[in-house]
Amino acid sequence: MMEMAWIVPLFPLFSFFLLLLAGKKMKEASAYVGMLATFVSFLVASAVLADRVGGSTYKAEQVWLAIGSAKLTVGFEVTALNAWMLVIVSLVSFLVHMYAKGYMQGDERFSVFYAYLGLFTFAMLGLVISPNLLQTYMFWELVGLGSFLLIGFYFYKEEAKAAAKKAFIMTRVGDVGFFIGMILLFLQVGSFEYSDIFKAVQDGTLSQPMVTLTAILIFVGAVGKSGQFPLHTWLPDAMEGPTPVSALIHAATMVAAGVYLVAALFPLYEASETALLTVAVVGGFTAIFAASIALVQTDIKRVLAYSTVSQLGYMMLALGSGSDVAAIFHLTTHAFFKALLFLAAGSVIHAVGTQDIEKMGGLWRKMPLTAALFLVGALAISGVPLLSGFFSKDEIFAAAWMHGHGVLFWIAVVASFFTAFYMFRLFFLVFGGEERHGAKDVHESPAVMTLPMLVLAVLSVAAGYIHTPWFGTFLGDWLTDGGYAHEKTPSWMMIVAAIVSLLGIFLAWLMYGKRSLARDWLSSRAPLTYNVLLNKYYIDEFYAWTVGYVANAISRLFYYVDRFVIEGIASLITATVNAAASLGSRMQNGQVQTYGAVTFIGLALLVAILAFTGGYL
Amino acid sequence: MNGPYFLSLLVFSPLLGILLLAFTPKTQERTMKWLGFLSTLPSLILSLFAFFQYLRGYRLEHLAEKRDWIRFADFPFLTESTFVVRYELNIDGLSLVMIVLASLLAALAAIASIHIKKEWKGYFMLFLLLEIGMLGVFAAGNMVLFFIFLEVTLVAMFFLIGKWGGFARERAAYSYLLYNGVGSAILLIVIAVLFARAGTSNMELLKEMLHNPAARAQLIAPIPDGLRLSLFIALLIAFGIKLPIVPFHRWILRVHVQAPPAVVMLHAGVLLKIGAYGLIRFGIGLFPDQFRDFSFLIAILGIVNLLYGAFLAFIQDDFKMVLAYSSVSHMGIVLIGLGALNEAGMQGAIFQTVSHGFISALLFLLVGILYERTNTTELDRLGGLAKAMPLTAGSLLAGAMASLGLPGMSGFVSEFTAFFGLFQTAPIVAAIGTLGIIMTAVYLLRAVLNMTFGASKSGAAQALDMSVTEAVPVFVLLALIIMVGVYPRILAEPLQAAIKMMMNGLGA
Repeated sequence: MMEMAWIVPLFPLFSFFLLLLAGKKMKEASAYVGMLATFVSFLVASAVLADRVGGSTYKAEQVWLAIGSAKLTVGFEVTALNAWMLVIVSLVSFLVHMYAKGYMQGDERFSVFYAYLGLFTFAMLGLVISPNLLQTYMFWELVGLGSFLLIGFYFYKEEAKAAAKKAFIMTRVGDVGFFIGMILLFLQVGSFEYSDIFKAVQDGTLSQPMVTLTAILIFVGAVGKSGQFPLHTWLPDAMEGPTPVSALIHAATMVAAGVYLVAALFPLYEASETALLTVAVVGGFTAIFAASIALVQTDIKRVLAYSTVSQLGYMMLALGSGSDVAAIFHLTTHAFFKALLFLAAGSVIHAVGTQDIEKMGGLWRKMPLTAALFLVGALAISGVPLLSGFFSKDEIFAAAWMHGHGVLFWIAVVASFFTAFYMFRLFFLVFGGEERHGAKDVHESPAVMTLPMLVLAVLSVAAGYIHTPWFGTFLGDWLTDGGYAHEKTPSWMMIVAAIVSLLGIFLAWLMYGKRSLARDWLSSRAPLTYNVLLNKYYIDEFYAWTVGYVANAISRLFYYVDRFVIEGIASLITATVNAAASLGSRMQNGQVQTYGAVTFIGLALLVAILAFTGGYL
Repeated sequence: MNGPYFLSLLVFSPLLGILLLAFTPKTQERTMKWLGFLSTLPSLILSLFAFFQYLRGYRLEHLAEKRDWIRFADFPFLTESTFVVRYELNIDGLSLVMIVLASLLAALAAIASIHIKKEWKGYFMLFLLLEIGMLGVFAAGNMVLFFIFLEVTLVAMFFLIGKWGGFARERAAYSYLLYNGVGSAILLIVIAVLFARAGTSNMELLKEMLHNPAARAQLIAPIPDGLRLSLFIALLIAFGIKLPIVPFHRWILRVHVQAPPAVVMLHAGVLLKIGAYGLIRFGIGLFPDQFRDFSFLIAILGIVNLLYGAFLAFIQDDFKMVLAYSSVSHMGIVLIGLGALNEAGMQGAIFQTVSHGFISALLFLLVGILYERTNTTELDRLGGLAKAMPLTAGSLLAGAMASLGLPGMSGFVSEFTAFFGLFQTAPIVAAIGTLGIIMTAVYLLRAVLNMTFGASKSGAAQALDMSVTEAVPVFVLLALIIMVGVYPRILAEPLQAAIKMMMNGLGA
């Protein structure tokens, strides 16, 4: 089956073309085309995974473009990581396709939505089976296109327009780092192939500074795509897209591509402590930074978005701590519970027609199933014992601790406390208490929406058991080909993690559930901190005032140079010619003496030139 | 493929259309538009035929044509071929690719010419004359013939802009004529000097005489290094105006804005490329040593073009101006590739000429479609086009994506290859240049999203989407852009031999 892996991305691509061409006529049937395509992809991907579990890596490629003696290839590769990602992506994509049938019902551009989803899924699947950096980069940009199109799906809204533009440009800033790093690697190694790069790292053909430089440059790309600080600002704004998109692209799959990229290139990073440290610090900082913002946001999707940024920070921290397994494990569990949370949030938004959590409340009674499923997701992400998030987060804590990142470890623990708090703040405000929304006729979402959520909820609970210190580290063993050296997580760490998350939940309950603590505790006690958090540390404003201002200033400067200096010189030349011409015409005065003089001078000049140059100019 | 007449037939086949048009009554609008379009087809078919034959291994040398034409002197001590200008046409992979580009865009621009409102007879006669000039430039085997064809394009363009252009058309036409006239004059001096010293203007012979010590004896008079340097600089300026290299770019702004969109398709798509072609053919072909010495400067000029154009495109209010500066910016990538002085760079530069040809033609095609309905291309007055004209808006976005170098489209291949080349020779300069990759995305998205996203503005709210006639060239171009992006070997293979040859000349 592995030799057929290349076919997995093609089904969604076919769906994209079909829906683009004939979607208008197919209307609601577009959903079935998309669902069928992704489902088939999922089936084939599962078969590939099953094959890979018992087999070894498969790779096939052919020449794409020859540049001189350099042959650039395209192809596909089924490694353990790739096969795993194929299944996750196609599964979540299928579930979101299904959910969207209910969510997007009645939208004028229903089929266009499904076409874009197909394009995105194609690109994401293509990304995870790429055997070399160049191909990864190409799909990397294409998933960016899919993301851009879907963020801007409600194109008539100014906010959507701005968000789409911002997402594209911010990630492109990161991509340039990737671009440079990739080319530098090629110039050193002579190949874009992952396997060749690893070999060069091992042989030492790649000098140490070069390893560090290229690893960090490529990490810049990952920072952009995975919404890490300081390129994170596009991700919360990306919530302008329809909620199923937020679940698929901006939570479960595309934003995790940065984590995937670093994991796929992991031998390169392992060869440089500096690069690893950079990854760990950026990840750890992002984890707590974004979690702190999520504490005070009032838009349900934005809270989840900052939560995603924070969780991706965790994954980066894991990578930086030398554990790609922990990162991929958390990527997997996060894909399930964060997709679940977004879909549940979508179900709520669908019902009450607002995203402001101040205007929700009391939905537990109206939408019991959604509430229960949201609760499962919230428990999982908070790291409550026995659910998937608990195991994957523990793995990260352990990695950070073992790698000697004491500070980062405690930062991660505090961020985990924040996570539990903001998730349950959300839960109590949305589902608990009295109703604050004006919407009548609030009811549970249709089965087509709740069913995918149900599947994700089951996975959010169960996915943790593929890799636990209690029953076996199956995922880790398999990803590292049996070489997974698991240092036993100290049991105090598990207890600390559990207590921290329960504390967070308890505090949220005190403030928003039982209300024995004042809700405006932070805003009244420390209004400055509160405002800084509410305004996301003023990062957007900072960029507008620095980068935006400088770009405009340069453009203005060039504008004046163009308009006045260059055009001025051109005008001066024409004016000179004009002046010479009028002088010449004034000499046409009919006086033979003048003509004679001019003729003589001209002749003398020509003779002189001839004499000096010897006949040839 | 019949050798002796094939290229002449290819180049001059639009002449038949000019003749037929001459005998068509000038009120017959439909007939003339059809005639105009159909007359572009023979050269398109012939060039595509040659292209695919070449891919299958046909040798282009068999197509060379040579006929006696002008004899300047008849001294007994001179050999048969001294001071003779022959009618010589011959092509290699590079010229073949350019000919395919020119004939293809000419056919598509002829379809786009349905928006021309007046005096179709004169328009199409000049249009076809322009096509002859373009094809001839790329097929010419000697510099005199090259120059004559170049002047044909100049004359035809001058009238096309001056008569069928926008409000300030005459100023634009004169500006065009002035800048290009200066460029031509400089080029003519170079040709005259070479002809006087070498006794020939045949490119192959010149190349031999300039480099091969054995053939050097045939020179009438020596060409010392100092003179070579001045000739090279003169060529750089002459083709730098055409390309254009900043600061010689002001004229193309007026042409982009004032000329009818169908003509701009050819202007941006093909005519600017004559600058690149000339730099490669004559700059590198005849003066490789000087070119090598200047390569770093050329790369710097490329970066300047790239960034200068990008920053200026960022603050324009008119979409046509955005595209004009975008052309300046994208021609920077050609210079970057050439300045890299290696195979990757050269390939990137040529890819970029072709790719930008497709993309700029596509974008101006869409500008034409848009202007026809809204009567404006000012960004402030457009908005929300995606609602009324989803196809046009979608194509516009696709064009912008191609232009900003999205993988899977031709722009990426050329941009990547050119930078790939420059990183090998000047990594720091190249790294600075990558800022252009970001800026390109910034200015294109700003412009295109302003027009297509957001709330519908008056004027565009009820516009009809593109018709079938308008859609055909749009989709042909999109298909080509994607084809080159996905399967770049279709372009790389025919160019391989030509690039190898030039690299040999450069001693790399």
